[in-house]
Order: sequence, then structure tokens, then C-alpha cells
Amino acid sequence: MIRYQHTKLSNGLEVIANRDTTSRLVAVNILYKVGARNEDPDCTGLAHLFEHLMFRGTHNVPDFDTPIQMACGENNAFTNNDYTDFYITLPKDNIETALWLESDRMMGLNLSEHACEIEKRVVIEEFRQRYLNQPYGDLNMLLRKMVYTTHPYRWATIGMSPDHIANAPLETIHQFYNNFYHPSNAILSISGDIAAEQVFDLAEKWFGPIADSPFTAPQIPIEPQQTEARRLEVERNVPATTIVIAFHMGNRLSHDFFLGDLTSDLLAGGDSARLYEHLIKGKKLFASVNAYISGDVDAGMFVFTGQLLPTTSEQDAEAAFWQEMELLAEGKISDYELEKVKNKFEANTLFGELNVMNKAMNMGYYSMIGDLPLINREVDIYRSITKQEVADFAIHTFKKENSSTLIYRAKQ
Amino acid sequence: MIQPPLTIPNSIDIQHAEKIVASNGTPIYVLNCPEFKVVRLSFVFHAGTITQARPFVASATANMLAEGSTKYTTQQIAERLDYYGSYFDINIDRDYSYISFCSLSKFFDPTAEIIEEVILHPTFPENELATYCAKRKQQLSIERSKVETIARENFAKAIFGERHPYGISYPEAEYDSMTREDIATHYRNHYTAENCIVVCSGNITPEVLERIKSITASLHCSNSRCDIRLPEFSTSHNIRIQHDGAVQSSIRMGRLLFPRTHKDFIPMQVLSTVLGGYFGSRLMQNLREHNGFTYGVFSAMVNFQHTGYLALATQVGTEVTEQALIEISKEIDILRTELIPEEELELVKNIMAGEMMRILDGPFGIADVTTENILCGFDNSHIQQNLERIRQTTSEELLALAQRYLNPEDMITVVVGDFS
Repeated sequence: MIRYQHTKLSNGLEVIANRDTTSRLVAVNILYKVGARNEDPDCTGLAHLFEHLMFRGTHNVPDFDTPIQMACGENNAFTNNDYTDFYITLPKDNIETALWLESDRMMGLNLSEHACEIEKRVVIEEFRQRYLNQPYGDLNMLLRKMVYTTHPYRWATIGMSPDHIANAPLETIHQFYNNFYHPSNAILSISGDIAAEQVFDLAEKWFGPIADSPFTAPQIPIEPQQTEARRLEVERNVPATTIVIAFHMGNRLSHDFFLGDLTSDLLAGGDSARLYEHLIKGKKLFASVNAYISGDVDAGMFVFTGQLLPTTSEQDAEAAFWQEMELLAEGKISDYELEKVKNKFEANTLFGELNVMNKAMNMGYYSMIGDLPLINREVDIYRSITKQEVADFAIHTFKKENSSTLIYRAKQ
Repeated sequence: MIQPPLTIPNSIDIQHAEKIVASNGTPIYVLNCPEFKVVRLSFVFHAGTITQARPFVASATANMLAEGSTKYTTQQIAERLDYYGSYFDINIDRDYSYISFCSLSKFFDPTAEIIEEVILHPTFPENELATYCAKRKQQLSIERSKVETIARENFAKAIFGERHPYGISYPEAEYDSMTREDIATHYRNHYTAENCIVVCSGNITPEVLERIKSITASLHCSNSRCDIRLPEFSTSHNIRIQHDGAVQSSIRMGRLLFPRTHKDFIPMQVLSTVLGGYFGSRLMQNLREHNGFTYGVFSAMVNFQHTGYLALATQVGTEVTEQALIEISKEIDILRTELIPEEELELVKNIMAGEMMRILDGPFGIADVTTENILCGFDNSHIQQNLERIRQTTSEELLALAQRYLNPEDMITVVVGDFS
């Protein structure tokens, strides 16, 4: 249970405060409601490049990191398809240093041609390190391209190709900042041993004077319903073949999402989960296996993935996944098993509330998806899910015509 | 808006661990934080890879503890832990193995029943071993297709010597000949009362503690204390390994130094932080921010029981590999010839203090730091002493240390990439 208070400044900035009396640190999280789904298909990777540029300094504070570090603080950021998140933890007495820096870079950046060029090179190295120079590095990119034909989830946060990053014009980059980096598109969430009223006063002091510049983001295209099974087979220089089967499922606020999440836990949440028990230990088909949901805000993916043992045929591996789906669709789930994944969800929720950073980040996230109180309601929602609901989810989700299969074959 | 004033914490108070000794002599360290409704219980055994009689047996033993016991099958163990939302972590390094269990306070009792089985009565079933070996063999071959893994393994070889237990690595095929008996023997010899310390944190009520004491007291004693005699280190300096098609090169550079207990360890930690220990470090500024050669570069002091080393690691674009090596050498050279400016040193000291505070935030972090202290022979007052030692470090001292320890001829460099 995370107790919080919430307010909105007159410029549209949302502020959420949680008091934690056990910590000497404070976590300051600022979330911008912009991710790779807001990008133009001809200029992808921009949201993530922008996350990097946010550390390139402003006219007022040329170096972002040094003052944070001087204050014994640490900061970082991440971008995904839906949002961009910046977070700082530091001794609570230094909270104003964090607010000063975050409000400063919300007011304006100093984006020189030179800074952009250097940062583009860094991001291209990141592209290489994480996606090109890694075994299986392009697997998720291939999958997205197959699962989505229209929705911008069809590209990964890093972008479709290093060329998009290299060629992004300075003008477009400036426009991106103006469109998305302003108070009414942001959420400030703070956890630490500071009273909510004081957090709100400080938020007003540092962020209140920033003028809002509202922008109506273009509609994100809706992914049309899939009507035919899709399949892609590639060959790569990797040690083991991997098989992925992905399905479309509901968006973050639909009941389908909770059903999908719980179903993925039944299949792969912990060592006693079905896939591990049946396919690794029982049938000995895979070296590793997983089922997960992509967890996106818009309608996302339910994914099965498994790395084959050298002795396993692709047909057997694929068939084994479909058999697992069949078992769920037939409702073959015990009360004990259902209770187990619910207990586990509850425990993980509690383990996730042990430090200030997780709490600050979670508050920002739930507010971004548009249902902040859900942060404390989810355990009850999972508790209420029945076997029949899981079976129904399996029936309407795990259909051939809703599937995309990727065979990522090891070169012999 | 103007910059707000700063407060720099000049003390870190961390509670002292209360030490209790179980009836078989094993020490139990207790960090009671009743405001957190969780319990974490860790067993640390002197059973790292240097203690193993054959390849991979130390990690296989640790990883197979929960794969079946006299009372329960591996499925039942996993089932029960999952049912209560409890979990465990297994870590192994060259010196030690660490087995930690976490549970909600309200479910400690049923969790303890499983802990007892896992720690005291593992059976290492034959069929589970086969699955484990097949899985690990494949994982390892995937790991070894990455340039950073090849560089890491070869750096260890270069710094300690190819045959030294700290430096050695083995072919995946060694998994094929591992037997149940190898593992059972390793368990019998090393998972013993005199080889173990126990650390618990969170909501440690008297009942919880009684349970922990009784589990610990049941660890068997072995009369043969295993003394490990380490051979001399033998260092080789420049290693280049061709990896066809790599779009980045992995670079590791460093040198053998000394363990955490050495008087120069803390100031060398300060020096390695200046060089590459934080986001705005000299290497990061140079390689990433000014040149765009890399996504990241890091350096740190690494501590082992019997020694320690300084290392830096990065991955850079294939075409800029030589330039990056030159820039790295330049930065090390500057440390040996110029005083670190006051302001930069102040910054690094604050970063290190902040890092300690962050690690100590929450009951699990406190337990980790306590464990590390105990293994080095310190108690938790060491944290405050460390902080003071960091504060006392001067630019003059660091210059002298750089001149003493960072000579180019002592440096070991490993580069893995496509040089064609």
C-alpha cells in the first residue's frame, strides 16, 4: 500500500507525494508522456535520443550531472514505447537541487549542433552494443515488425535503424522538445521523509513559474485486427535456435490486461510455473523458456519464447507451446495454482515498495496510464480473477489467426 | 533560478549487527529492522570456485541446492516457495557462495521449512543434474559468443595466470563429465558449520531468530578444514583476440593490486572513481561525451579474499579501437602527472558518500554491506571509517599513488574485436 497525495499546478503539472519516514533519501521522479509511439515512422529513435539530450545542459546550467553528484545524488533515465522517465535519488536535505535541475531543463535546453552530433554517435554505439553486436540482438525488432503493421509499436525504442538517428535534423529535434517537454505533459512524483504539503510548496516554487505550451499530439494509428497467422523464419549466427509466438491482447486499462498478466505468471512466474515444469524439466525440450506480456499502454503483446536444446526439433517445440495454451483454454487450472500466483503477485508488490525510488517511479507510471488509484487496487483485482476468466482469455487470445511466429534459427 | 545550497552528510549511521553463535560455532549476525515486514536470511559459505576440485562443480553445487531434498522434490520446493511469494537468490564468486532467502514476515515459518531442506538436506538428484548441465552448457556458449565475455575471461587469465584458480576458465564440454558424486563431495566438504556465516535482516522477532538458530546449528561439522594454497600469480600483458564480424571491440585494462584490507585500497577506490567510476568521470567525458566512441566506460577496484585489482572496461566502435586505446592511456597518464583539481576531488568524494547511502537504503542493502564487512574482518563501524578515509584523501596522495600503481608497463590490456 502506497499512501500518496496528489495535486495539479495551474500550468498543468501533476504532482504526487509519498511520505516514507524510514529513509534518509528522497527520490524525485519526472515522467514525460512521450515515447517511441509518438514518433514519425520516417524519423524513429527520436524519443530515446531526446532522453540523452536532456543531459546535455541548458543555458542556465551547462552541466546537468555535476550539481547532482555534488549533492551526493545519482540520476538516470529510460525511454520506452510509451513514456520517458527521469529519476534522481539524493539525501533528502538536498531535494531542492533535484527540483532546480529538473525545472531548469523543463524550461529550455541548449541544443547545439555539436552536442547533437556527439549524442547521436553515443546512441548509435548503444544501438550497436545492445542490438547489433549481441546474439539475438535483433530478435525483438523482427518480432515487432511482424506483429504490428500500423501501430508505432512496430519499431523498438532505439529506432528502426541507426540511419534514422544519424539523419535526424536539428530542426525536428527542437520541435520534438517543444511538443512534448512542457508542464502539462509531465508528472512529478516524490517519495521520502517530507510532508506532502511541503512537497507541493516546493513543486510550486520551482515548477509553478514555467509557462505551459500545450500541444495536441497527432492521433496514434490503431492496429487493425489480425485475421491470419503470420510467420517469419530467419537464420543467424547464434548457438541455439529460439522460437517466439506472439499474440495481440488488450490495453493497459482493460480487464484483458490483468488476465494476460496473471496468465503469464501461471506459465512463467517462478521456478514452479508451468512452462519451466513441463517443458524444461518434464519434456526437456528447451534450455530456457518464458511467457510475458509486453505491458504497453496501448493494446500490447502476449509472448511465448523458448530457446531450444540441440536435440529438440522446431516442430516439437512449437507444438509444445500450443499444447500449453490448449491446457489453459480447457480450464485445467487448480485452485492451488491460482492461489499461488495471486500470493506471489501480492508479495512482489510488497517487495517492490521497500525503497523510495521504486515508489516514486510507480506513482508516476500509474498516473501516466490514467488511473493513479490503481496502484493500490491491483492486488484486489488479481485476487478476484477466476479460473473461468483465465480460460476465456486463453480461448480468445491464443488463436492461430491472432498469432505471429518467429523462428530464429541457429546457423548449422 | 539560482542553485539551492547543499548539505553534505558527514556521517553515515548504520546499525551494528548483533552477533550470536549457534551451538555448532557458526556465527549469526542479526540486523533487526522491525518496520519492514519482511525477512531476509543469508548463508555465506567459503565455497567459491577456488575451492572446487573439478570445473564448474562449485557453481553447480550452489545452483542445485534447491533441486531436491530428502523430504521434497525440486517441484515441491519451487511450489512451496512460490506459494508463499518467497524467493531465493544464489550467487557465487571465486571465494564464496551466497544463498539468500526472502519472505514476507507472515510467511517466514513455512519458508523456513524449505530453507532447512535446501541448506541441510539437498540430494542433488541425477536427472536434475543432467537438465542443469545441458542448460548451463548452452547458456555458456551463448555468453561466449559476446565480445565482452571473451574479454572478461581473458582478462582474468592475463591478470592472474591461465592456471591460477582466480584466472582459469574451462571449456563448456567439462559439463558433460560432471557427476552427482562430484557435487555431493563438494557439498560435504564445504557447506559446513566452520565454513559458514549467517546474516539476517528485516523483522527478526525472537521466534524468527530461534528458528534461524536451530537451522544454523544443524549444519554439519567437518574435521578437515580445507586449506587452499594459491599458486603465484603470473601476468601477461597484451592480448588481442580476433572476433570476426564484431561491430564493436571490447576493451579491458587494469592491473593486479591488493585486497580491501590494504591501507591503499580506499584511496585507490577514490582514484578509480575519478578515472571511470561515475557518469561524469574522465574516461566517460573523454570517450563518450567528447568523442562518441562508446555508450559507456567504467573502472573500479575489484576485491577478492586474497587479492584485488583495478580494472576498466568498455566497448567501442571497431573503427575507433586504436584511438580509444590511446585516449585511455592519455587519461591514465594525466593521473600520473597532474594533481586532481580540488573541485573534482570534492565531487568524487560526495559521489562516493551518496553511493554508500543509497546502498544502505532498505534492510536488504544493510545486510549486503554487513556481509561484505564481516568477510573482510570488519564490523559496521568500518563504514564510518571508510567515509572518513575518503574525506581525508588529498590530490597529492592520489598523485603519488598513481605514480606508484599506474605505470604503463604494469598495465594489462585485453582487446577482443574484428581487426581485419
